[in-house]
Amino acid sequence: MGGVGAMTSSVADLDDLRATVRAWCRANIPAGWRAAQTGVPDEQYVAFQQEWFQQLRSAGYAVPHWPAEWGGGMSAAEQIVLYQELAAHDAPRLVLAFVSIHHAASTLLAAGTDEQRKRHLPAILDGEIWVQGFSEPEAGSDLASLRTTARAEGESFVVNGQKLWASGARYADWCLLLARTDPDAPKRRGISYFLMDMRTPGIDVRPIRNAVGESHFCEIFLNDVVIPAANLIGPRDAGWRVAQETLGAERGMTMLELAERLGNAGFRWLVEACSRPGPGGTRPIDDALVQDRLAALETEIVGLQALCRGLVERHDAGTVGPAEASIVKLYYSELLQRVMDFGVEIAGLAAHTQLTKAQSSGWESGAWVLDFIGSWEWTIPGGTSEIQRTIIGERGLGLPREPVAGG
Amino acid sequence: MSTDFTEAHDELRTVARDLLGKAPVRGSVVGVDWPSFAESGWLGLEVPEELDGAGATFAEVAVILREMGRAATLSPYLGTAVLGVGTLRALRAYAGRDELLRAAAAGLVRIAVALPTGDAAAAPAGEPIAPPYRVAPSAGAYHLSGRADFVPDAVDADQLLLLAADPGGEPVVVAVEPGHPGLAVAGQPVLDATRRFGTVTADGLVVDEGAVWRFPPATETGAGGAAGVRRLLDRGALAVACDSLGGAEAMLGRTVAYAGARQQFGRPIGSFQAVKHACADMAVQVAVGQELLEAAVTAVAAADPGAGVAVSRAKSYVCAAAVEIAGQAMQLHGGIGYAWESGVHVYLKRAALGRSLFGAPSAHRARIAARFV
Repeated sequence: MGGVGAMTSSVADLDDLRATVRAWCRANIPAGWRAAQTGVPDEQYVAFQQEWFQQLRSAGYAVPHWPAEWGGGMSAAEQIVLYQELAAHDAPRLVLAFVSIHHAASTLLAAGTDEQRKRHLPAILDGEIWVQGFSEPEAGSDLASLRTTARAEGESFVVNGQKLWASGARYADWCLLLARTDPDAPKRRGISYFLMDMRTPGIDVRPIRNAVGESHFCEIFLNDVVIPAANLIGPRDAGWRVAQETLGAERGMTMLELAERLGNAGFRWLVEACSRPGPGGTRPIDDALVQDRLAALETEIVGLQALCRGLVERHDAGTVGPAEASIVKLYYSELLQRVMDFGVEIAGLAAHTQLTKAQSSGWESGAWVLDFIGSWEWTIPGGTSEIQRTIIGERGLGLPREPVAGG
Repeated sequence: MSTDFTEAHDELRTVARDLLGKAPVRGSVVGVDWPSFAESGWLGLEVPEELDGAGATFAEVAVILREMGRAATLSPYLGTAVLGVGTLRALRAYAGRDELLRAAAAGLVRIAVALPTGDAAAAPAGEPIAPPYRVAPSAGAYHLSGRADFVPDAVDADQLLLLAADPGGEPVVVAVEPGHPGLAVAGQPVLDATRRFGTVTADGLVVDEGAVWRFPPATETGAGGAAGVRRLLDRGALAVACDSLGGAEAMLGRTVAYAGARQQFGRPIGSFQAVKHACADMAVQVAVGQELLEAAVTAVAAADPGAGVAVSRAKSYVCAAAVEIAGQAMQLHGGIGYAWESGVHVYLKRAALGRSLFGAPSAHRARIAARFV
């Protein structure tokens, strides 16, 4: 692949890479995939995702952020080019493999043993699907208060409890699980991090319907689930620290991809919606107020894209500030919501007749109302906007912490 | 950007912050004495080396402007170094022009440029920008008439450059000194005590041909006078955005320090979510504004053809955010923030004025949106 493995990239190399990716996109992105993926049954969605993942993999584009030895090796500058082009050509998104290639991989790379990496990283490339088992009914923003227990028994741990908001758990082969191994320790110190095989007896997965009517979120009930001690990741009782260290690390590139998509299809459709004559024959875009809001949103999207590119570059250089990932997550999610909100307003009553949206799309699918409601899937999970603001205030600006009730 | 480039900027920033931070405080207004300025070399950053300047670019000027915004510095930097040097460099090479550039770099002359500084500065592409003056040849001389308001640093200027339209509608620059018959310069006091403006009126003003300077003709690489004027106005708009971002950073820093120290209800007010989250929102605005500003500065320094849109993005976002941030700073400082002695009002007034100077955010957004319609 052009440029893969290079640590630094000249402008000419990047231009070559861009041309290569462009040609690949034109030849490989299935024509009309959005229409074909609208309202399809789950099996077809999963099959399409797996197929698209393998197509990207064979081009060297599935895991560009991984180290070269595991099948990645693109520099930050190269990844920026790759994601810009995938977004510009409106490629399907890797939704099903998202946790596998980002969260699972970064955890394995940062804290896994050699054996764990060898077992799972190649398997992820072959399509192994991962799910995150973090949140619980009583542990949302206060994740560290989680109650799922893992009791040591010989060479194993026996897990009992309940996980919530596990996206894609129905299709998952493996789970990144946080569970309490020391009930007597302060709440952040008694948690361990496990790799849990989803085929283990005692696991019951039940989908829950979300606000847009989809059921990718699941509850996971854990009843005497036995996990071998070899599947502990990082030291016992250090799970909280390991999760904190590994989760921020993967944010840059995932956000970059989303920012580029918002700047391409997302904004393009918004301008198109504004340019369509309404029932009276007038076009919203001829209204100065509409123009003003479009210009403001485009400006903010350009700012977001630059913020994300900067984050990725600083990540490569090892100079990321303590709150940068939170700034990007907060800004993207609230901007996404504002863009979709405006789309709903502009598209009017007709937008409400669009009852389904294309699977495998980004957070902008063209179905304005569903996308608007779906945008809360960004402002709530992964640390709510309120939690992000607290992180920015405390870690970024050094403001004093709030007194913690109950230690 | 190369590491050398970044390091040079860091050094320039450190020196500027140090000097501007030490500047004498007059009332609540910070001023810098002119000799320190002349010695600093900042006035001639964009003056070519053969004219005793630094041969640098707008990227370096931007570093100084941001620090001046941070310190709310009262100085004629906008008139002389940004608009004056920028205007002179945009013109054909006249002997008088080169002398003036050399004098500006050495701090021997203060320049004011009379051009549109309101919303007209952000006219969408394709809409002509009318110069404030008209010049017409008459009996071997040139007659000039017209008036410009809100001319930055006009009152203390030793040299005025007036943007005029010739009979063919081509923009030209007329160089006159204050006191010239037919020229009237009057101060325009504004609430922002850190800036100086004036009205420059030309009525029956006569100059000889040597004082009428022209832009280079349109070529493949440059689009003549109209494009030259647009680039000048973009420089002005971007300079104000740099200033506003510096002011916003200062207000964020001051507010965070205050919120960490001020105790109410038995704990620092910065530990309350309402205050902490407001500070976080300010930090996000500063982070986004910085990205938009850097993109525009890079585009202007490189004379990128798309620089205008990048400038309008930076100007509209940063200058609107700066007013919000200074307003939040006043709010989060509580009673002391509203007191004259806190100086927060200095930044709020400067930000509010900057928001209107060289085009309000709405005018710049209209320019951005013209591409969509």
